Amino acid sequence: MADVEKTGCLYVGEGVTLKGNFTVPDIATISGTIEGDLVAKQVLIEAGGIVRGKLSAELVDLRGEVVEHLTATRSLIIRSSGKAGGSIHYAEIEIEKGGSLHGDLHIIPSQGNS
Amino acid sequence: MNIFSKKSPDELDEDFSDGDTQNDVALQQEGRNDQLDEKVATPSKPSIISEGFEFIGTITTAGTLNISGVVKGKIHAKSVLVDTTGQVEGELHSDQVMIKGALNGEVRCQELNIGPKADVEGTVSYQNIHIQRGGRIKGQFTKK
Repeated sequence: MADVEKTGCLYVGEGVTLKGNFTVPDIATISGTIEGDLVAKQVLIEAGGIVRGKLSAELVDLRGEVVEHLTATRSLIIRSSGKAGGSIHYAEIEIEKGGSLHGDLHIIPSQGNS
Repeated sequence: MNIFSKKSPDELDEDFSDGDTQNDVALQQEGRNDQLDEKVATPSKPSIISEGFEFIGTITTAGTLNISGVVKGKIHAKSVLVDTTGQVEGELHSDQVMIKGALNGEVRCQELNIGPKADVEGTVSYQNIHIQRGGRIKGQFTKK
């Protein structure tokens, strides 16, 4: 992820566990574990990365795992190693072969700025 | 087997299940014995519900089913394609499912492929899923 040095970004490295609620103005890249709620503009969950709690973002790129709750107001991409579970809200979805989806799916009206 | 044998109709029915049944006799029986569906060899060509056609009921096939029209009811097939104009309401049990059109109901399958203009709503259980961007899905999804 090239842009992680920018202001307003969060990077959670492999092996790191964060507990609490987080608001990230720009991009959150997760290779470790987050336990709690995460709100960001864009979220990239790398393979091995886990979010346990509520995740909310415009754009979610999932190679790792989200348990419980996921909201993507613009676009949700589940890559082949990605797993999404629980309650999932999205405007646009794409799942690569091998990706996993387990839970309730809801469509939210697109925000229209795409 | 001899159709002109002096056996009673009940005894004849037993004979039909002994595996020695001749094809022409089997065809005559098809209407009243669902079991025979399984004995029909796997068709190489797909069965087609074409556009403008509406089918209400149960479809069972060991082969491929292409749906461009409307199907309301149950479908059991090895492979199902719901084309862009196709609509399915009800239950769908199949190994391979490709949905380009609309589906509302219950799906149980191994491979699920959802096209960019598809609209799927209901309870879905699958082993492998692939959704192309733009496909709309709603409901309960379970990975087997």
